[in-house]
Amino acid sequence: MSGARPMARRAASEGPKWPWIAAFLIVAADAYLCACDPRDLDRLLINSMLALSAFATLHVRMLSLASAGFAAVGAYTSAILAAKLGWPVYASIPAAALACGAVAMVIGLPVLRLKDVYLAICTLGFGEVVRVSIILLPGLTGGSTGANLSTGFGYETMKQTRTWALAPTLAVLCYLFWSASKSRTGRALRAIRENPEAAEAMGIDVVAGRNFAFLASALIAGLAGAFYAHSVGSLENGDFRFSRAVDILGYAVLGGSGAWFGPVLGAGFLTALPILIRDGLGSSLGFLKGFAQLPNILSGLALMLVIILAPGGLASAFPRLPERGRPEGRRRQARGPRPEGAAAAPSSAAGPKGKVLLSLKGLGRSFGGVEALADLSFDMEEGVTYGLIGPNGAGKTTLINLVSGFIPPSHGKIEWLGREIQGLGACRAARAGIARTYQDIRLFAEMSVLENVVAGRHIRLRSSLPAAWLRLPSERREEADAREESMDLLDRLGLSGLADREAGKLSYGDRRRVEIARALALEPRLLMLDEPAAGMNERETAALGDFIVDLKRQGVALLMVEHHMDLIMDVCDEIVVLDFGRKIAQGAPAEVARDEAVLEAYLGRD
Amino acid sequence: MGSLLEVRGLEVRYGNIEAVRGLSFAVEEGSIVAVIGANGAGKSSTLLALSGLVRASGGSITFRGREIAALRADLIVRAGLAQVPEGRAILAPLSVAENLELGAWTRRDAVATAADLERVYAVFPALADRRSRLAGSLSGGEQQMLAIGRALMASPRLLLLDEPSMGLAPKLVSAIFGTLADIRRTGTTILLVEQNARQALRLADRGLVLSHGSLFKTGPSAELLADPAIVEAFLGKA
Repeated sequence: MSGARPMARRAASEGPKWPWIAAFLIVAADAYLCACDPRDLDRLLINSMLALSAFATLHVRMLSLASAGFAAVGAYTSAILAAKLGWPVYASIPAAALACGAVAMVIGLPVLRLKDVYLAICTLGFGEVVRVSIILLPGLTGGSTGANLSTGFGYETMKQTRTWALAPTLAVLCYLFWSASKSRTGRALRAIRENPEAAEAMGIDVVAGRNFAFLASALIAGLAGAFYAHSVGSLENGDFRFSRAVDILGYAVLGGSGAWFGPVLGAGFLTALPILIRDGLGSSLGFLKGFAQLPNILSGLALMLVIILAPGGLASAFPRLPERGRPEGRRRQARGPRPEGAAAAPSSAAGPKGKVLLSLKGLGRSFGGVEALADLSFDMEEGVTYGLIGPNGAGKTTLINLVSGFIPPSHGKIEWLGREIQGLGACRAARAGIARTYQDIRLFAEMSVLENVVAGRHIRLRSSLPAAWLRLPSERREEADAREESMDLLDRLGLSGLADREAGKLSYGDRRRVEIARALALEPRLLMLDEPAAGMNERETAALGDFIVDLKRQGVALLMVEHHMDLIMDVCDEIVVLDFGRKIAQGAPAEVARDEAVLEAYLGRD
Repeated sequence: MGSLLEVRGLEVRYGNIEAVRGLSFAVEEGSIVAVIGANGAGKSSTLLALSGLVRASGGSITFRGREIAALRADLIVRAGLAQVPEGRAILAPLSVAENLELGAWTRRDAVATAADLERVYAVFPALADRRSRLAGSLSGGEQQMLAIGRALMASPRLLLLDEPSMGLAPKLVSAIFGTLADIRRTGTTILLVEQNARQALRLADRGLVLSHGSLFKTGPSAELLADPAIVEAFLGKA
C-alpha cells in the first residue's frame, strides 16, 4: 500500500528481507486487482480506512470492536443527508464523520472505563444496537430490506461523485498518522500503550489519550462508512454485522498495532486474498466450484499462517529506524552556553534553599484493614536528600505511591508548596513537579532509550498535534531540542551509547539508570527513587551516589528508598526510618545509625 | 567427568547484540560458585541460557554428563537444574503453599515431595506461618524466601540464583546468605549471580568474574577477594 513505499526505500538494506517482499507482493496483488476491476479499488481504500480506525484504538491497547458500528452510523447518516435531505455528497461525508464523533463522545463516557475483553464485548454490543436500530427505523433507513440509494435515496446523483475524494482522503489520513507518530502526542500515546502507569507518572493524561484515540477511531470509521454508502449505492444492515467488526479488527491485528502503516498493509492483504483465491480457483480448478466456502477457508488459513509467522503483525517485522539523537548540523554551542545541568534543574527560579516543598501531615494508608502506613508527618525541603529506610514491608513504597498520587491516603494530608494535593492523581502530581522511579522498573519497554527519556519531557514540551501535522518549524525545533536535551541527560548517566537500544532489552542496572534519566527529564523539584541501586555493584552504586550529590547541588529535593546503607550514609542529609508503617526514627545519618530502635528493627547488630 | 556443570564456549545473542561471547567454566558438585561483574557483563544471560529460558546461540552446556544447551526449559528442571529468577517472579495471586507446590510440578514422587515441602518450611519458618497467605501480600524478603523455596521444591542438584539479595534489608541479606550456606550443606550445588560481590565471594568457594560477556578472571574466592585489580574494578571500598 501507499504507506509502505517510503519506508521501503529508506531502510531496505537493513534487517530481514521478507517483510519488504511481502509488502511488495501485497501492493502488487492489490494493484492487479484494481486494474481488473475498479470497484475493488474502492473496497480496498475503504477497508484500509477502517483498518486505520481499528488501529487508532488498538495502538493504545484498547480492544474496541466499535468500528463497524461507527461505519454504519456514518454510512446511514451520509446516505440520509444526501439522498433524503438533498445535501451535497461532499457535505454529507464530513457531516457523517462528525455525527460519529458525537456518538463516540456519548458512548465513550461509560464504555471507556472498561478494559480488554470487557471493552470488546461492550463495543460489540454497541454495533448490535446500531444494527437493530437501523432495522427498527424503516422510514429513515429502509429497515431490514436495506436502502437502495438509486431509488429512494437518489443514487444516480451520487454515483459519479464517489472515487476521486476517497484516495486523497486515505492519503491525508496516512499522512496524519505518520506525522502524529513522530510528535509529542504520538509519543505520549505510545507511552500509554507501553505502560499506562508510568505514562501517568510522566504527567501524560492517560484517560484523555484513550478518549482521543476512541474519538479518532469513530471519526475515521464514520468517514469510511460514508464513502462506502456512496461507493456502493445501496446499504443493507448486514453490511455492518458482527463478522464485519471482526474483519476490521483482523486488518489491524494482522498489520500490527505498533506502526501506522501496518493496518494499511493488513487491509491490503486481507482484501486481496479472498478475491485472488476465488478467481484463481475459478479459472484453474473449475471442478472445485461446488465448494463455495473454499476461498474463505484458504484465506482464513493464510491469515493464521501470517499471524504465526509475525505475531506482532506485519509492521513489527520491519526493522525500526532509530531516531537521531543529535540531528546533523545542530550543536549545543550554537545555542550559547548552557547552565550547568539545566536539564535537571527546576524550570523556574528555585527560590531560597531550605524552602519546604512537601509537607506530610498525619498521613496514613491501610489496605484491607492492614495499616501499611500510619500517622506519618515530616517536611521535605528543597535541595535536601532524604533517605527512607526500614525493613521490607515497612511502608516505604506505599509512601512513594501516596506522594506521587498513585493511591489516595486513608487519612492525613499531603501539602505541596502549601496546597493540598492528596487524591489529585498521578498525572497532576507529575505536572506539579514530583517525579519517581519504580522498584520494579517500569520503562516503555518497546521504545528506544532515547524515546523513553524524551517521553519523560512530555510536560515540558508544548507543541500540539496540529502543529505536528503542519510540521511547523517551532514544533520541529522543539522536538530536536528535546532529543538533544535528553541525549545530554543520557550522557550524564553514562547511557548515551545505549540511546538507540530498545529499553526493555537492557540489563537490569542499565534499565534502572534509564528510568532515573526519564524521571529527571521531567525537571522535577522532588525526585523519589525506589531502590535506585538495586542490581548495581559497589562501583556502579558509588557512581550513582556522585550523580545524586550532583543533583542535590542543583536544588532538587530527593527521597531515596535504598538498602545499600553505604549509599544512604554517603549521600543523605536526613534519614527517616519506618517500621510496620510507623516512623521510628528521623535525623542525621550518624544519629540514626546509632539509634537503638533502628539497630533492632533494621540494621541488625554485628 | 567430575564437574556437575561444564560450560564451553557459551554464546548468547539478542539480535545483533552479543551478551555472552565464548564463556567457559565448570562447577564442581557440592560447591558454591559466585558470578560477579558489571551491569551488562552477561551474568543474567548466562543463567538464562543454563536454565533454557534463553537459547544459547553457540557453545555447549554439559550437566551431569548430558548436553542440555538445546533442551527445553522444563526438561532442564527435570534434569535437576532449577533457577531462582531475578526479581523473584513469584506467582502473586497464588498462595504460598501453591507457589511451592508448583515448584514441584515436574516431580512424580509424592512422598519425597512432601518431605521436601517440610524441609523448605523448616528452612524458612516464616513461610510455614504464612502458607495460606497470597504470595503477593508477602514482604520483599519473604518473597525472596518463597522464590528460593519454590526452586528447592524441584529438588535440584544445581540451584541457580540471580541476585537473591536485591532489594532486601541488610539484616535479611545476611539471613539469605546464611540460608544458602545451609542449603549447600544438604548437598545442593549453588551458582550465584550477585551484585553484592563482596558478600557473595565470602560465601562462595570460587568466583567467576565476567566482563563484556567473557571470563575476565576465575579462581578461589579468597584469591579474588585479595586481588587488587578485582577489588578496584568490582568490589569498591571495603
